[in-house]
Amino acid sequence: MKYISDASYDYIMNKYHDQAKPFDPFQRFIRRDEIFSPETGMPAGEIMDGLKAQDERIADKPHSVRKAQAFAYVLKNTRISCDRRDPFPAINMIDRPLSRVLTSEWAREVREEILPDVFRRRAEFSRLGIATIGPDYDHSVPHWDGIFAFGFAGLLHESERARVGHGADKDAFFEGIRITYEAIISFVERLSDLAARTEGSGRMAKALSSIAKNPPATFYEVLLVIYIYFMLCEHIEGLQARSLCHFDRLLYPYFENDLKNGVTEEEIRGDLAAFLLQFTAIGNYWNQPVFLGGCKEDESTYINALSYLFLDVYDQMGIMNPKVQIKVAESTPKDFLLKALDMIRRGHSSIVFVSDALIRKSLMRAGATPEQARLCDIKGCYEYSILGGIDVGMNYVNLLKPLEYVLHEGCDGVMGEFALHKSPPPCAYKSFDELYAEYKLQLGMLIDAVIDIVNGFEEYLAYMNPQSMLSAAYPTCLQRGRDALAGGSLMNVSSLGCGFIADLADSFAMIKKYVFEKGEISLPEFVRILDSNYEGEELFRRKLVADRDKYGNNKDLPDSIATDIVSFITERVCGKPNAAARGGTWECGFHVARQSYFQGERTAASPNGRPLGEELSKNCSASMGQNRDGATAAILSVTKIDASAFCGDACLDLGLHPGAVKGEEGLEAMYGLLMTFLKRGGHAMHINVFDADTLRDAQAHPEKYGDLQIRVCGWNVHWNQIPKEEQDGFIRQAEALLS
Amino acid sequence: MIRGCIFDIKRFAVHDGNGIRTTVFLKGCNLRCLWCHNPEGMFSVPQTAYYAHKCIGCGECAGVCPAQAHRIEDGKHLFDRALCIGCGKCAAVCLGDALTFYGREMTADELLPLLLEDREFYESSSGGVTFSGGECMLQADFLREILRLCKENGIHTAVDTAGDVPWESFEKVIPYTDLFLYDVKAATESLHKEGTGVSNARILENLKRLSDAGAEIIVRVPVIGGYNDTAEEIERIAAILKPLRIRSVELLPYHAMGEHKYEAIGQVGQTFTVPDADTMALFRKLFN
Repeated sequence: MKYISDASYDYIMNKYHDQAKPFDPFQRFIRRDEIFSPETGMPAGEIMDGLKAQDERIADKPHSVRKAQAFAYVLKNTRISCDRRDPFPAINMIDRPLSRVLTSEWAREVREEILPDVFRRRAEFSRLGIATIGPDYDHSVPHWDGIFAFGFAGLLHESERARVGHGADKDAFFEGIRITYEAIISFVERLSDLAARTEGSGRMAKALSSIAKNPPATFYEVLLVIYIYFMLCEHIEGLQARSLCHFDRLLYPYFENDLKNGVTEEEIRGDLAAFLLQFTAIGNYWNQPVFLGGCKEDESTYINALSYLFLDVYDQMGIMNPKVQIKVAESTPKDFLLKALDMIRRGHSSIVFVSDALIRKSLMRAGATPEQARLCDIKGCYEYSILGGIDVGMNYVNLLKPLEYVLHEGCDGVMGEFALHKSPPPCAYKSFDELYAEYKLQLGMLIDAVIDIVNGFEEYLAYMNPQSMLSAAYPTCLQRGRDALAGGSLMNVSSLGCGFIADLADSFAMIKKYVFEKGEISLPEFVRILDSNYEGEELFRRKLVADRDKYGNNKDLPDSIATDIVSFITERVCGKPNAAARGGTWECGFHVARQSYFQGERTAASPNGRPLGEELSKNCSASMGQNRDGATAAILSVTKIDASAFCGDACLDLGLHPGAVKGEEGLEAMYGLLMTFLKRGGHAMHINVFDADTLRDAQAHPEKYGDLQIRVCGWNVHWNQIPKEEQDGFIRQAEALLS
Repeated sequence: MIRGCIFDIKRFAVHDGNGIRTTVFLKGCNLRCLWCHNPEGMFSVPQTAYYAHKCIGCGECAGVCPAQAHRIEDGKHLFDRALCIGCGKCAAVCLGDALTFYGREMTADELLPLLLEDREFYESSSGGVTFSGGECMLQADFLREILRLCKENGIHTAVDTAGDVPWESFEKVIPYTDLFLYDVKAATESLHKEGTGVSNARILENLKRLSDAGAEIIVRVPVIGGYNDTAEEIERIAAILKPLRIRSVELLPYHAMGEHKYEAIGQVGQTFTVPDADTMALFRKLFN
């Protein structure tokens, strides 16, 4: 392993869980008790008991204070470790212990006692595959600029300073921050003391001692701050710190300063490698994002020597977690993009591109200032948020469900249960336009119902899980004396993820063509065939699948439906008020995460030939295996959607055959695709370079393909980790690729 | 308006000239290269290809075939090629993509919009449109027309040719062609005849005239294991090219990707060996 020794590599990779043992990547964390010395703190069970006992004594206090006290208790007592092989400390995480003692109880209270009807509807929507919604604590971005500028002690100082101007009604909020940050500072000092007693960890001790009191001053100290903030926020506070920051913009000054002070580039590469490897070793299924690029005030690029160094290290390490987003602007150097594209064609599909121009336009439309829009961070797979602004709520709506209602007089196509509104029987639709208008009616009602449910529980987000760590670094939270989740932050967006636009557009295209234009089949008969899951009608199903009028191929019929539905959703959703306590608005996006599978299993056979229960289309990409006219057609289709009309994802998952991207001309062609995509107003693009033969071989001989990674839907997994059904989906996609 | 006969249009073609291109394959060729990987482009008449492994036995083809060339017996699809009149109706309804019709006729006006679809990609990658085949120069009048329309629309054009056509054909297209991809299969005339069925005299003469005319030329040499993969032969080719004004020479190693197409169109292909990377590297040095 270049940059770090084999011993360091092995230690870090096994620091969080034993790599030789089975690991469920959906688990946030598997802790390894054996690396911690008992004299450094209590065992997990004792901490949990102590937490409960402590909380019983202060049960009359506000949630923010109770949670902060619990946070402090864990930090004071949890075991820690330092090792000469690792420049980062080990912290015995008990995997969101506050959730187990406090916040899950507060969530239960809201769920069962305060809003039982809201949560009953939410459960129904999930069971039927209509919508997957819930309180979201996983898509927030720490205000890294503020954290680096002030340091932990400085943030505490700023909060106490702001507290003076507020009345007693804000005491609970500021007290939560005070307790939380005093605990963090003491904890960092405790880590420093241990490092000082650990052979070979002197540098770590010194750096920790410094960041306990001061803002970080060196590259290594900033990495330590990010790491500690991430670990405490993610695993104790219970809020996922998405984005490890706008890395090249924020860390370059430290990098440059270190070099001037005699630190070698090799040392920096070593620290960066060890830093990145922590996230590989933790192994969160969704991958941890970090981002590069974007524009300075004068529109010149933020790409700098550190950006190149970052890609070098990432490449050499051969890792996929963290995942890397590159915000591309006109000023982004071509050679940097070629470097990233070359990595992608060599299998590093954990690098994605997002458009600087499009994101800025979208954010400004939603009310951000040009400066806020320019400096926004990436807060998930492709989602974005202004600094100090919060955008939570990954609420996934299944766009196929309203079509089921239209075709079944308002009932679910799988379970037969009545949903929201009675539609006419299939025989009553005299034209495609009538049917399409009825769909919009049903879709609008579904959107309203989902927003209603989410607004209900988002009223209680901060009540269920107050966020002192996050709020302290948000200037407006301190100004207003309010939690980031309760109107303290800027914008306060809630998001509606609308899934399967390609399957929907294709379904409408097939109904229009075969029922209302060619008259080959009546609508009632088509519905009967769908209800039988194409039983005995395989030829008809094949005909629908073989039909080339499918979204993702630059065909007018399906593409116009897709763009029209997106416009309808955008108008219905964007700008709508969210929960009063948050004081923000709704936005929408078209990211589907794992809902292709989850909601796919609960979705009836669709009119585009897709059988019941099968995987649904991803993001703004063609249905599985339907991009038959190649990469350029896929880009032309997706960029017909006006992605600037909403603040959310409009990602294209592009598959390319290895033969199409080989050689210098292949690399230039990838660049040409990316540039055209961005010029046409595309938002985000990820690329999988694969061929069906390789994937089939990998399925048959997994032992030969231990390193093969594949981008699923905003994150990467190793091929061998995904179930056969998902592998089959990728093989179908690859089979459609043109060499 | 004159109609061209086209057997394929490939978008996002990246190995037929600069940048992202759309390659249009024109049907019919006057060479019979033993290693040809586009055998469906050899004959100028339309052809139906049948990829048996994709057939799902749906019988849709049998329902539309006016010549009864397709029939289903015991659930199996039988295709009697001798009866096929090359109308292409079967391919249009095939549900398994098993039948492909090679030989669509269209005018330059009809073709142009298809080529303009990817215009933005050409612009962002300095790409354009390439005409290949078959031997696209056998349809020189049609080619001239579509090249002219491309140039009117500001699109970079390339012509991929084996060059065995009257010089007058070149004269028709030169004004509208930005780049020639010119195949040279062998320097030794007897070897050329053996491998392609024709002499290389006119080919080399046209190449020289094209060079003299100041055309932009990339020469492409297929390196076929067991045919021309000797240092002597490659050196001879290099010697012929040396005095000419040529932008670059590309050596293309033989690949067997066209093999399945022979069977699909009812022909028998010949297999050669793929030259190894070291041999290719050695040969490339001969052109430095």
